[in-house]
Amino acid sequence: MDISLVRIDCRLIHGQILEAWIPHIKASCVAVVDDDMASDFFWKSAIRMAVPDDVEVLVNSVEEFSENYSYSEKEGKKTIVLFCDVYNAFKAYRSGFEFEELNIGNMQSEENRRYCTPAVYLCEEDIKNLQFLVDSGVKVELRCVPRDKPLDFRDMMKKIMLP
Amino acid sequence: MMVGVLIITHGNLGYELIQAAELIKGRLDGVLAISVDPTKGTEELKKEITSGIKKVEKGKGVLILTDLFGGTPSNISLSFLKENKVEVVTGVNLSMLLKLSDIREEKNLIEVAYFTKDYGKKNISLASEILNKEVVNK
Repeated sequence: MDISLVRIDCRLIHGQILEAWIPHIKASCVAVVDDDMASDFFWKSAIRMAVPDDVEVLVNSVEEFSENYSYSEKEGKKTIVLFCDVYNAFKAYRSGFEFEELNIGNMQSEENRRYCTPAVYLCEEDIKNLQFLVDSGVKVELRCVPRDKPLDFRDMMKKIMLP
Repeated sequence: MMVGVLIITHGNLGYELIQAAELIKGRLDGVLAISVDPTKGTEELKKEITSGIKKVEKGKGVLILTDLFGGTPSNISLSFLKENKVEVVTGVNLSMLLKLSDIREEKNLIEVAYFTKDYGKKNISLASEILNKEVVNK
């Protein structure tokens, strides 16, 4: 598969993915990589119904996905890979899914997460894991939809470090 | 007794649909809108929906109308699905909402849900297609 977008989004499949990212990329495959979804028949069916019929849907656990797909090849279906949080993306990266770019869409506010942008709140561990990815050469950006201006993770860090 | 109606959408679409429907039909009872925007977390929305369901529930269950299957309003609504209590219809439009006020008393929840789905679809038309047909028929 041709990995066109790797994204962290706490909502996984939702309006921004269906109406903005899939048409923008002309993706023909969406991989939802999430242990909870992969073991929940109801949600797996709901995801399949939500995605247009001509787009293939994979719902896999992090382990299954990292081990079973030829994601290093630049050929095949244009694919969007979705994780619900930083930790899962980090875990997949460490298990061999070595993506080059990472998009952060939505991470909702929670206790112990700090404000980064209106759509993104991150905890200290998230920031540490993202920093690891950046140091490994991954380009990390924050952007909800294709038409938004991307914010580089490093520039975002400079902003939130300011008092 | 009538089926309660909750409209859950991206932004203020639901409120505006109610406003528009009330312009045509007059006051709509037992209809509430909930807007989903990026500032609200999932838990907050679930609480809002739970209390919305309580408010519009009049003993015949609640029909949730959402804008887009697979969107956040619809995704969250799916977790409230319950036989005879809560049904979800996606792709809400004005004709659905207007028709609902005619049928919510006489039909039960599942009948209302099926009817609304079919009625919403049936009322989408390409004007020139209809008009051309009229011309040909004359």
